[in-house]
Amino acid sequence: MADFPQVTPEEFRRLCDFLYRRTGMVFGETKRYYVERRINERMAATGAASFPSYFARLRSDVRGEVEQFINAFTVNETYFYREDHQFQCLTRDILPERIRTKRRGDSLRIWSAPCSTGEEPYSIAMWLLDNWDMVDAYDIEIVGSDIDTDALKAAEAGVFRKRALMRLPPAVVEKYFATQDNEEWTILDDLRQSVRFTAVNIVEPAETRTQGKFDVIFCRNVLIYFDDASRRLAAENLYESLAPGGFICLGHSESMSRISPLFEVRRYADAIVYQRPLEGAHG
Amino acid sequence: MADPGGKRVLVIDDASLVRLYYREALEQAGFHVEEAMNGLEALEKLLGEPADLLIVDVNMPQMDGFSFLKALRRLDPPLSATPALVTSTEARPEDLAAARAAGANFYLVKPVPPASLVEHVALMCGPPE
Repeated sequence: MADFPQVTPEEFRRLCDFLYRRTGMVFGETKRYYVERRINERMAATGAASFPSYFARLRSDVRGEVEQFINAFTVNETYFYREDHQFQCLTRDILPERIRTKRRGDSLRIWSAPCSTGEEPYSIAMWLLDNWDMVDAYDIEIVGSDIDTDALKAAEAGVFRKRALMRLPPAVVEKYFATQDNEEWTILDDLRQSVRFTAVNIVEPAETRTQGKFDVIFCRNVLIYFDDASRRLAAENLYESLAPGGFICLGHSESMSRISPLFEVRRYADAIVYQRPLEGAHG
Repeated sequence: MADPGGKRVLVIDDASLVRLYYREALEQAGFHVEEAMNGLEALEKLLGEPADLLIVDVNMPQMDGFSFLKALRRLDPPLSATPALVTSTEARPEDLAAARAAGANFYLVKPVPPASLVEHVALMCGPPE
């Protein structure tokens, strides 16, 4: 602990409050070690001599420090085809239901938020290619969003370590990735072009609103980092981002029923998902 | 099915997922596949290296499928005679008529099952060299 900056309990509280207001993520004294490690990183990177001077720099957003600070706090542990039973549900149940009210050629919009370094939105694209025979019949738009702009840059580059590919069948890896050294794997250009990446904070309504309405939203394993108030706010923003009748998929340990009454629970063979009711629907 | 004998197919579609979807099916069947994301890019590619068959989407930015076909048919032979298979989500008789008028040789309504795509491409490419 000796190399950690001296942060008083009051300063620590103010920093956590700052972080909460910017991201919705809750950190308290119990996560002090985790938070201090990141403060330390950012103080070293910016050359700040003391915590008060670093905090002043952060609050006035000197050289985009807010963005850098938030990037240091996000968790980017994910992999391709994570919780793929939900992708199974997507092609077996959700999309067939969505296209019932569409014409061929209409747009079909899927949002991965947060998308971290891109594994999830790319997984969706790959899954659709291999498991949905309507890929060419709709104008499919896949959007990946995150508050971590470093993660988004990595997602756009489309280069992955072997660990991210561990759940993919070898045939899928061979089809959709190229490697020179068996260490780094680059996703095919066509797949890279099939996802549009953009920075969005899902607790910020002004930001979610700019993305338009989606047919399906994947919002997995992020609400667990929020407190009740941010969770509700995120749920309301996501609700507004869904077309009437649109679906949202959460992580396996998350339940929308405990967060917001806005959605209807839909129990399918492969997953439990949540639906924005169709307008005019009752009960 | 006839052996494709390394025939060269150019897939012209603005949707990268669709290009990849068709590419996979055709490569598995032994075709050599190139891609273009609109009519303009397709013309440039064809002037560089001709293709045995074109798969042409209709709605594309910059140069749509019909404008591309009209431009292609005005070029010098043999490039102007390259067979073209139009794929579209529209299935009305007037859409088919417009495709024929623009110079399409065949018309498939999306979704096109991969097996059906391969079958039609093989037929249109003719016997292997």
